[in-house]
Amino acid sequence: MMETKKTKVKAEKIYLSDKPPLSTGGMVLLALSYGILIAWAVFILWPIIQMFLSAFNENQYQYLTSGVELKFGTKHFKHLFEETNYLIWIRNTLFISLSTVLLTLLFVSFTGYAYSRFRFKGKKMSLMGIMLVQTIPSFVGIAAYFAMHTIIQQFIPGFNKHMMLIMIYSAGGIAGNTFILKGYLDSIPTDLDDAAKIDGCSNMQTYRLIIMPIVKPMLAIIALWSFIGPFLDFLLPRVLLTRSEDLTVSAGLFTLINDLRTINQPAFAAGGLLIMVPIAALFIILQKQLVSGLASGAVKG
Amino acid sequence: MAETKVKLNHIGNTFAMKNQYLLDRAQGKNIAKHPYLQCLADFESKEKRFLTELKTPRATDPLEEYSQRLEAARKQVAFYEPYVELSYDAELAYKKARVEVEQVPAILETYRQIRQEIEQVRSERKALPPEADQQARALMATELKALEQDIETQKMRINELYKQKRISSKALQNNMVKFKRQIKIAKENAELAVPSKALELKEKNLLYRLKQDPKKMEAFIQAEKNDLQQNIPVEIAQGAPWKSFLSIPIPGLGQILNGQYIKGLLMMLLAFFNYIIAIPYALGYGNYQGKGIGGLVNLAVGGKRLDKSLFFMIEGVIAIFLLIIALFIFWISFKDAYKVEKDKILGKRPNSWKITSKMILEEGFPYTVTLPSAIMIIFIVLVPIMTSLLLSMAGQDPQNQSKFGWVGLENYLALIKGSGLAGALFWRILVWTLIWTLGATTLSILVGFFLAILLNNERVKLKPLFRTIYILPWAIPGFISILLFSIMFSPDSYLTNVLSAITGQTILVKDSTFWTRLILIIMKTWLGSSYIFLLSLGVLQSIPGDLYEAADIDGATSWQKLTKITLPLVLFQTAPLLVGQYTFNFNDFTAIFLFNGGGPFNTSLYGNLAGSSDILISYIFKLTMNNNYQSIGAAIAIIISFGLMAFAYIGFSRSKAFREIK
Repeated sequence: MMETKKTKVKAEKIYLSDKPPLSTGGMVLLALSYGILIAWAVFILWPIIQMFLSAFNENQYQYLTSGVELKFGTKHFKHLFEETNYLIWIRNTLFISLSTVLLTLLFVSFTGYAYSRFRFKGKKMSLMGIMLVQTIPSFVGIAAYFAMHTIIQQFIPGFNKHMMLIMIYSAGGIAGNTFILKGYLDSIPTDLDDAAKIDGCSNMQTYRLIIMPIVKPMLAIIALWSFIGPFLDFLLPRVLLTRSEDLTVSAGLFTLINDLRTINQPAFAAGGLLIMVPIAALFIILQKQLVSGLASGAVKG
Repeated sequence: MAETKVKLNHIGNTFAMKNQYLLDRAQGKNIAKHPYLQCLADFESKEKRFLTELKTPRATDPLEEYSQRLEAARKQVAFYEPYVELSYDAELAYKKARVEVEQVPAILETYRQIRQEIEQVRSERKALPPEADQQARALMATELKALEQDIETQKMRINELYKQKRISSKALQNNMVKFKRQIKIAKENAELAVPSKALELKEKNLLYRLKQDPKKMEAFIQAEKNDLQQNIPVEIAQGAPWKSFLSIPIPGLGQILNGQYIKGLLMMLLAFFNYIIAIPYALGYGNYQGKGIGGLVNLAVGGKRLDKSLFFMIEGVIAIFLLIIALFIFWISFKDAYKVEKDKILGKRPNSWKITSKMILEEGFPYTVTLPSAIMIIFIVLVPIMTSLLLSMAGQDPQNQSKFGWVGLENYLALIKGSGLAGALFWRILVWTLIWTLGATTLSILVGFFLAILLNNERVKLKPLFRTIYILPWAIPGFISILLFSIMFSPDSYLTNVLSAITGQTILVKDSTFWTRLILIIMKTWLGSSYIFLLSLGVLQSIPGDLYEAADIDGATSWQKLTKITLPLVLFQTAPLLVGQYTFNFNDFTAIFLFNGGGPFNTSLYGNLAGSSDILISYIFKLTMNNNYQSIGAAIAIIISFGLMAFAYIGFSRSKAFREIK
């Protein structure tokens, strides 16, 4: 009903809006805004579109060149699956990601609970300590990781480099994620757990029955970040992994560009596309949650 | 320890002494063969005999067990009663037995009653005529049918209302859900009305109570016993603590001598860790190559041909951490035993294991659950950092790869002075790193914020579309977009051709220092502005509109509104994240390394060790992984770490959340 009214009014050319009518200067400014917005959108989209096109363009060979006519086909995907270790890279990355998620959740859900709900000796000190340690980036240890892996392998046979990566990722994530979770839990009043305590729940029961359901949303975000981390990291796989069939997806795709024996740029475009689409979709759908998770950790400290 | 005439319990109440010998001694009288001591010895020997007689084979049936317990408790009450005035130990035993005598009959009764009820239900179930179920079911079926018909008519009515548009589709849906639930509940109730089902449930319930009710009552008994344990003091002849000092060589021994056996045994397990793992490892046994802490002295220099100094260093660091843990265990064990022993001399009775284990679960909870994380952080995060710290003070370079010694602060001096092959580049690379960090981050922040303000204009249409496009660079994995740009700037590729078209000359970006650096900063803006845009847009949308309305009324211009309202609010809320952006870009290895590998390589300026777009972190990577200057690399990494830590400390110690932690 409202809409019919509006169109009627429009037909009679009566200006009806909360906003004041635009002056000429305002018109120009608005047009300028649109111009800038569209220009930036083109600036962002153009390389991505080129990537899409070249991944499906059968006229591209080994090196991407511009001005090539489009011949649609899936040749490069075929090359990716049959000639390279792409699927193995994906499998490696998934293994590392999932294990990292599990370990991180296991460690962090407990530490976040302990730091948020308990007072204990050394709390402030250790919190400060892990916060400072956490600011040291993991690359500081690159000289030691390889040798450490050799030493650990001596004591635990079967401890491969993927496991070393999992350990580095999950141990490295403990401090930061503890802070995020602590910040989140601190913002929730303790009434619920107090009630549970009065009803006779032990700490463990309170954790399982009360805290777990409350922190699920934040745990999901932490899980998501820890899952995506190994997909995005390039430095540590590059340091630790050497054989092609051990690589993770980022280090593997790099060999399609960098290694003269395996170079194939359109295949890189195809392989990049395959992991880019799901991850980008995930980020776009969950943008609010992902940003709020980061922000709450940062602002609340 | 001065001898006193009174004893304290855990709550701090004072008690008169029962031990006449100790009392006399405290008063300065020294009687050689005190009659009290004889009485006590007499009591103790009798008690020993009594307790061996009391032992009976464990009953299998719970009912029998309870009656046995009651019987034993009665005997104990009778035995200890005459000695209550003799010693506090006897009083404790007496009172504990009294608790049992008072409470166990109730458990016994409850248990018996529930059992009887179970028997009854079972016999009822057996006696149930087979047609009873069917009759009940038939009855219920007719009732159910009536209900279903009733609901069916209601459904029709609701549908009719919906068709006439008198209720919304949401209301229709809700009603349908309600009907479904009604039928479900009715069906469940009907099932319960079937006699055999009802009896089965009743039996299940009783069986559960048979298990749980006695447990609850036991908990009460235990609580009362714990109270007694902490309320009734203890008297011992000991003057000064000495047993706890035995916990220093053997953790747990002091606890056992204090009478806390289980705690002592658990402490001894930790002693095993100390003596079998930590200390031997620190001494060099069981190492992979190194010699424990001793290996740190000269780092395999002059050692066997295959020995590597790096291994000696790492194992030395691990040994130090293990030793710290071991010393910590010794200290904890001593401190605990010492406190208990001192309290015992004062009269506080040591806690029983039941109380101790409860305390570990309650007060020790934060420690036990964070312990695995602490171990992970120590061995996976701290060990490599410490190794780098030590490595930065050693001399691992291309000439001394497998064996190298200590050089003190030489590496740092080389970096500061800019001397040596690797050190000479430090300042040059640092300057570019700072330009890169400030340029790329500031540009990203400006662009992202500017776009957010443009898009937040209420007159702009298609907001969701623009928003989705603008966050794409943030959503796409960074290494893919960077590699994509890298490809596109190769000769004869897309962006190279675009650039030629714009400038009118062929520019090979990757061969020119200036162009590589410029394009890197632009590319980083492409990537980084996206996240800033997302953050600022969120803050902008949360600014209440009345602020601007008030400003309008006061006659503020758009520029004033922007600088006095929007900017301060956005900056205030995103400041920590913006600072994070600067540190992130300072360390953005991926962008530099993937775009052009740090190149182009200008050997006259940079030698063979780095390219002209290398930043510190990619320089560290190359020094460590490709050029074998690990020590210099470690020194740079340590300098960066201290910088970052100082940066973080300032921001962090000022944060409100941290100051609130008590």
